[in-house]
Amino acid sequence: MQEEIQKVKDEATASLREIRTQEDAENFRLRFLSRKGSVAQLFDRLKDIPKEDKPALGKALNELRSFVESEFDAARGSIGSTASRETAGIDLSIPGRKRYLGRKHPLTQTAEEIKRIFTGIGFGIADGPEIEDDYHNFEALNFPPDHPARDMQDTFFVKNPAQKDANQNGKYVLRTHTSGVQIRVMENNKPPLRVIMPGRVYRNEAISARSYCLFHQVEGLYVDKNVSLAELKGTISYFAKEFFNAEAKLRFRPSYFPFTEPSAEVDVNCFICGGKGCKICKYSGWLEIMGCGMVDPNVFKFVKYDDHEVSGFAFGMGIERLALLRYGIDDIRLFFENDIRFLNQF
Amino acid sequence: MKISRKWLQQLVDLTDIKDEDIAARLTMLGIEVESYENLSGKYDGFVVGSVLEVEKHPNADKLKLCKVDVGGEVKSIICGAPNVAVGQKVPVGLVGATVPHNQHDPDGKPFQLTRAKIRGVESEGMICSARELDLGEDASGIMVFDESATAGTPLAEHFGMNDTVYEISLTPNRADCLSHLGVARELASAFSRKLTPKRAKLREEGQPVVESAKVEVQAQDLCPRYSARIVRGIKVGPSPKWLSGAVERVGMRSINNVVDATNFVMLELGQPLHAFDLKLVAGHKILVRRPLQDETKFTTLDGKERNISPDTLMICDKEKMVAIAGVMGGMNSEISSETTDILIESANFSPSSIRKTSKTLGLSTEASYRFERGVDPNLTLQALDRVAEIIAETSGGKPAPGIVDVAAAKFPPTRVELHVDQVNRLLGTRLASGEIKRILESIEIPCDKKSETVMVCTVPTFRGDIQREVDLIEEVGRVYGYEKIADSFQTKLSFDFRFREQNSGDSLREYMAGAGFNEMVTNSLQPADVAGFHDQAFVQLANPISEDMAAMRSSLLPGSMQTVGLNISFGLKNMKLFELGKVYRTSNEQQIVGNFEETEKIAIVLSGIADPVSYDRKEAPFDIFDLKTEVERLLSFLKLDSWDFISYDTTKEYELSLKLFVKGMETGLLGRVSREVLKKFSVEQDVYFAELDLKRLLSLTGGRRRFKSLPRFPFASIDLSFIVDEKTPAAKMVEALKAAAGSMYRDISVFDIYSGEGIPGGKKSIAFTVALGSEERTLNDSDVAGFIEKAEKAFREEFSAELRKQKS
Ligand SMILES: [Zn+2]
Repeated sequence: MQEEIQKVKDEATASLREIRTQEDAENFRLRFLSRKGSVAQLFDRLKDIPKEDKPALGKALNELRSFVESEFDAARGSIGSTASRETAGIDLSIPGRKRYLGRKHPLTQTAEEIKRIFTGIGFGIADGPEIEDDYHNFEALNFPPDHPARDMQDTFFVKNPAQKDANQNGKYVLRTHTSGVQIRVMENNKPPLRVIMPGRVYRNEAISARSYCLFHQVEGLYVDKNVSLAELKGTISYFAKEFFNAEAKLRFRPSYFPFTEPSAEVDVNCFICGGKGCKICKYSGWLEIMGCGMVDPNVFKFVKYDDHEVSGFAFGMGIERLALLRYGIDDIRLFFENDIRFLNQF
Repeated sequence: MKISRKWLQQLVDLTDIKDEDIAARLTMLGIEVESYENLSGKYDGFVVGSVLEVEKHPNADKLKLCKVDVGGEVKSIICGAPNVAVGQKVPVGLVGATVPHNQHDPDGKPFQLTRAKIRGVESEGMICSARELDLGEDASGIMVFDESATAGTPLAEHFGMNDTVYEISLTPNRADCLSHLGVARELASAFSRKLTPKRAKLREEGQPVVESAKVEVQAQDLCPRYSARIVRGIKVGPSPKWLSGAVERVGMRSINNVVDATNFVMLELGQPLHAFDLKLVAGHKILVRRPLQDETKFTTLDGKERNISPDTLMICDKEKMVAIAGVMGGMNSEISSETTDILIESANFSPSSIRKTSKTLGLSTEASYRFERGVDPNLTLQALDRVAEIIAETSGGKPAPGIVDVAAAKFPPTRVELHVDQVNRLLGTRLASGEIKRILESIEIPCDKKSETVMVCTVPTFRGDIQREVDLIEEVGRVYGYEKIADSFQTKLSFDFRFREQNSGDSLREYMAGAGFNEMVTNSLQPADVAGFHDQAFVQLANPISEDMAAMRSSLLPGSMQTVGLNISFGLKNMKLFELGKVYRTSNEQQIVGNFEETEKIAIVLSGIADPVSYDRKEAPFDIFDLKTEVERLLSFLKLDSWDFISYDTTKEYELSLKLFVKGMETGLLGRVSREVLKKFSVEQDVYFAELDLKRLLSLTGGRRRFKSLPRFPFASIDLSFIVDEKTPAAKMVEALKAAAGSMYRDISVFDIYSGEGIPGGKKSIAFTVALGSEERTLNDSDVAGFIEKAEKAFREEFSAELRKQKS
């Protein structure tokens, strides 16, 4: 009797592996678990067994029945996902299938990081047009006509189809910086205000590994009562620590921009060589990351703000420059070629 | 601009200060040192040698065997130069020295001298040419020095090159630092030293200047001051070594003892000077004026004939124009070897006039560069005395007594009031008035106390950039040191809803990347023909870098095609790409700026294989439906629930094309890129491209998202297949099924399209899955049967089609 129980168990186990369809399952049920099935037949024979053997055999039969039932339930449950049941002969070392994996452009990733940091400390976001008039790109930013400060930025002029006169071509430019958006924001809003202005800007420079005819900037502006250079330094330091790392050291050195006074260039200590000097930092130990300063009173005059009432700071950084430094990219043109092997690295 | 340390030393004592400390302090004062070079290092291991013997090389005809005294020691050196001779003083590189320029290397790479055997004879050094020492172009023979040179003198010392040269980059406001004196003044302040400017000592003789020459300034608006001196009896010739060396070390060419002297004074004091041959100045009269009507051409010193516009300021004599004021002198009055008497001009010109002239002529000179930025009007006399002193010393001339000085007015210093609280408010400091006074006086701005908190500052005329209180505050901050101003970070969190980012593409980019697309950023400048191909009203540049970038893009397609082409050229043929970017055009209506319209678009690109090759899946190239899928997915992501694709004509850009309408608004085009465009970009595989109006799409998604309660009853799913005419559009049938379902309609999809065996010619079988549901109850058999009946009827009537099979 014990042998027969074992035999039925072995047969059932073998048959269970063959179950692929509902039909297979039904056949199995009929053969083993129906009223005439082999398990029931064994129970029927229990009445002919000597009394002293009954408890042991009964227990074995109950175990057999619950084993076959639960295995059958499991087998029936996995019908339809037959592939998963095929385990023998599958080479699991075959690599997974390759699917398209998309990524945001490194410039986007960098811009988003900059936006995240500044919006986190209360800056809003504004934008403005890329084709800009001379007034917003230069004049209202305190670049007088025929002033050498205009040479600081090589400008693209736009042909103005509305004007037949070629002399009018100077009136519209491809903006050379996002600073014009400062003017637009102040023209349309009363202080206090705190805003960053990301966007694409253009420079009429020969294209090389170090410069491209366009790049992206993030401009910042904070105008309120008693905004000071110390506050500017604190804000930029916070940004640099968030963007680069908590150990980033900054250097503010005096510089000149027509629309800020005082003005400064901001350098971060070279994280490639640790300040000892290397090719990237031109052996100075410092990397230039942005220009900034206190909004010049002349700019406030143009937008009709009272410079005795408010003061402000402004800054502007190049997204490409920051991305080049952050990722150690050595050629700015790579950003605009969109070689997939390049894009996939970020 | 180059600044020589040796020169600075004449103006301020910096003996004990290291080169790098000078560089660091200048940079932190806003005078950025880009680099600096210790010149003597360049000639380590080079000395003056005296040639004692010259013999023929035993084994080579063209080589000579020389014995050279290099200072107490005689070296045996092989030399191939034709001009080597006994008694010469020559530059000698000893073993171990690095020769700056290899004449035999195409790139001229430096090389190190080793003890070498040349044709069996050992050479213990090298006699060098000017080319090899990086001192000139002459490579024909060795350099030969004056007999007075001493054998054994280090070469750097012989050249006066025991100097460090700083390359500084000046911002346009700091015109005062376009001279050694200006830089020395900053350093005197930084290191608390005393400035020791040169006082010229002159021995004047002969006829006084005022009796010998006349100056008349007619265009006083453009020339506030014109001063001149005369020096007689000069002999024009090469400059002495100290003079030529000084100008050469800071990057200027040595010309002769007169021109070098004028350049020297400009580099020292910042005043541009010009010397005329007095004989060639007709009537010994200088006239400063605009050109006459017929004066339209002028030949400058460099031999070029230039067009003169009517508002150019000219220096003229009694008969003719002799110089373009502040830019360049003329050929007709140039100093030559015959010159004996000279008139030296030291003038002040209007910055904007000089800048205009320089821009118009495309001619920027050391003089125009300085005048554009502003030169101290009180410098003219000092500069004249200094240059006369040098010319007298170097050319044997005699300065005539006096100076002609024509000035429109006096040039007093500017007085500016400075409020202590304004300084501290803007800088965020707590500087006391005494501290502020000390700082400003260290850069020669005297301050008088007006009250406890107000002082009156007297700004000297060499600081033309300081006009306002805020300019003084900058000086205080700069000299005090930005690094000493403590960071403050008290940003108060206030949320300003005026500047919430509107319709940002950020989440869209996130979605596209997640959907397997790589983001592109492409150039928005394009050739005019490319921009014109997509839109006739494209925007053109007036001064492009090149023809390739003469216009603003009018479509994202060219940039996408370029990207596809580039990747294919690197063997990457399968791609999903997208870009968010602006296109530009000239509109008929007024825009924010002029008539220029900037529209943000999204481009979607599919090319190559739909899902990259796998070991067990059949590869299929992308097709128009993949593109449609991606567009529909994007629209669904944006929560736009209804849209229409209208089949559109073949255009020059597309072959299979569809126009997208969302809520009745045209929002973009998609399709297979035309042969014509593929050919333009040399792309030989199909490209599917969509360009949608991003701003419009994002604006249509507007409105708040509201929760809808979830369906409480399960949907019924019904499969229906019909045999219809081949040409019947699927979209029409979908509409018919939606109508048949009425309020029960939940969803629909096409799951099979088949024609061929078993289907009559000209017909196709098309199968749909329709999901039906109700808010009130589970649908029963009669609801489903009712729908099927309606659907069958509609198909029979509208498309003459028969229901082929159904399953529910
Ligand atoms: Zn470094």
